[in-house]
Amino acid sequence: MRIRLSILGASLCLFAGISSEAQGPGRGNTAQKWPPVRRDTTPGFVIREPLVIQRCGECHKPDSAGRMERLSYLRKSPEGWEISIRRMAALVGVGLQPSDARTIAKYLSNEQGLAPEEARPARFDAERRQLDYRYTADARTEGTCRACHSMGRVISQRRTRDEWELLVATHRAYYPDVDRQTFRRNGFGTDTGANAQHPMDIAIAHLARAFPLRTNEWATWSATMRAPRVDGTWLLSGTEPGHGAFTGRLTITKSATADDEFTTHATYRYVDDGKTVTRDGKSVVYTGFQWRGRSNEVGMHADSAWREVMFIEPGWQSISGRWFKGGYDEFGMDVSLTRLSTGVPVVAAVTPRSLRAGSANQMLTIIGANLPAGLAANAIDFGPGVHVDRVVHSGGDSISVLVRVDSGATNGARDLFVAGASLRSASVVYDKVHRIRVTPQAGLARVGGVNFPKQFEQFEATAFNNGPDGKPETADDIEIGPVKAAWNLEEYSATFDDDDVKFVGAIDQNGKFTPNIDGPNTKRSGNRNNIGDVWAVATYQGMKARALLLVTVPLYLRWEPWKGAP
Amino acid sequence: MRHLKAVNEKAHRIEATQNDVVALQGGGSPLQPTGPHIPLGCTFVFAPGWETDSTGGTAGLCQPVERDLFDCHITCFWPAHVPDLYNYAPDWTGKCAAAQSDWRKIDLIFP
Repeated sequence: MRIRLSILGASLCLFAGISSEAQGPGRGNTAQKWPPVRRDTTPGFVIREPLVIQRCGECHKPDSAGRMERLSYLRKSPEGWEISIRRMAALVGVGLQPSDARTIAKYLSNEQGLAPEEARPARFDAERRQLDYRYTADARTEGTCRACHSMGRVISQRRTRDEWELLVATHRAYYPDVDRQTFRRNGFGTDTGANAQHPMDIAIAHLARAFPLRTNEWATWSATMRAPRVDGTWLLSGTEPGHGAFTGRLTITKSATADDEFTTHATYRYVDDGKTVTRDGKSVVYTGFQWRGRSNEVGMHADSAWREVMFIEPGWQSISGRWFKGGYDEFGMDVSLTRLSTGVPVVAAVTPRSLRAGSANQMLTIIGANLPAGLAANAIDFGPGVHVDRVVHSGGDSISVLVRVDSGATNGARDLFVAGASLRSASVVYDKVHRIRVTPQAGLARVGGVNFPKQFEQFEATAFNNGPDGKPETADDIEIGPVKAAWNLEEYSATFDDDDVKFVGAIDQNGKFTPNIDGPNTKRSGNRNNIGDVWAVATYQGMKARALLLVTVPLYLRWEPWKGAP
Repeated sequence: MRHLKAVNEKAHRIEATQNDVVALQGGGSPLQPTGPHIPLGCTFVFAPGWETDSTGGTAGLCQPVERDLFDCHITCFWPAHVPDLYNYAPDWTGKCAAAQSDWRKIDLIFP
């Protein structure tokens, strides 16, 4: 995949052309000189890692203080640095051993990374969450950047103003069409206003202001940052769409060779079907809090590998994130870890979570750790209107109780208090299911299976009570929890004689949509692909809800660094 | 439609359509999402977009997508979605004389 000289030459010519052209109205940047004259005088970071200096320094020349061109003026997430290193290998021809690349990525991620407060808004990107993220701080910048890629790529970086300008210049050099597509007003060559700003100039100004190189957050965090002391046993809990809640243990063991590298052993059990899973894994923690791991299900084949992206909260008492797999990282589970200390009770979950008003003899299981034996019924407090009639079992990891709910109990979530431990919104009381809702409301799948991976979509149906105002879809609605619905697909009529539902794929009774194969379909008019728009419809106790599902084309280019070769 | 009488084949098809297509496209149902889906914060502002058309659906996409691959590749129009000629994959379609029949020969590219 190394670039040919002719192509590199073409790119450099384009770069030169753009640089001179960029001096026109609205650009405000000077022609590129080397080394560039820095107008933003924010001091860069001194780079001390010999491998970075040796392998990167030929092009990124260090100054007398040890600040390297470009490198010293950036901060990024681990994924951001990894993508940069891969680009250097693919386009500039830098030959790096994988072990050297890992050392360089770790050093730069640690020394020029993000503080927890800075990384938190961009978590969705590293955790590969398919949410409808909107960047609201500047709509024009959002429009310019996300035309091609996620804003997660942008908000997980910090740069000097000169570096934001160089980033834009690099985009224009590599992808000259961006001028016409989004970077320049009215498209390439048609801008005539002397003072009008181009979208890229607006974006540079905003990004330089919103995401500068030096911040108080980074100064504060880098002063206290160290390898986290997370070895030990943790209470593992979470939910997996389509499979429900699970709880268990995660044991973290520090590696013998590095304080920020760990091995893991997880055992957890799904509440609904009782399936028990054991996983062994390895992880690296970047910047003192960014957990990046991989684990395999014990006894299963290699494709059981899940990637683990988690956020270690400062204080090292809780960790949360997402473990995922799939051709497009679409299968995943939300994971929470709570540190366990000997003898200290912890509550992770209550199952079933929903309690119908007026019910009696309802068996509930409280799942946690270090829970005391021989608890009396009045020691377990589920809140107003919920009474524990009998404790069936208590001790160790669980407490089983029979509860009674007053017929007039107020609808709403209840916090649980037991043996000095508590859990917010542990259960929810409701008198009636008023409606169900399908999530995600806008699903996305991609055809595949022949030449490219399929992207599946997992839907869930959740029951709601309309809350005190009695109106659906308002802020006081009470989420009762997931329900076992019946699933089918219906046509979303976007054209006359729309027949997408016959071709796009199928949904099973667990809400999982499997798309059809990629490639032209000779049985469709115009040899169209098996793509289309359909409704995913859930039916539960006579109630129906639906979500729009787009079944669309594959991606032919994958930027996620963990997807390619090591 | 009450005052119009179908006189040709297409009009008969419209009459036979059970759904009011125009109303559906106008967002008649409160459950119908408004605007395009933005997975991972990325959207599709071009017309058509890669994953969706400008209305947020797939009906307006170039179809089949294989017919359009050479143009996407050569013009570098979809830098985040399709390997581009300039940078990462100059030979991407080298084994693919006619994309619509040879599309199985093209590779997934990891830049």
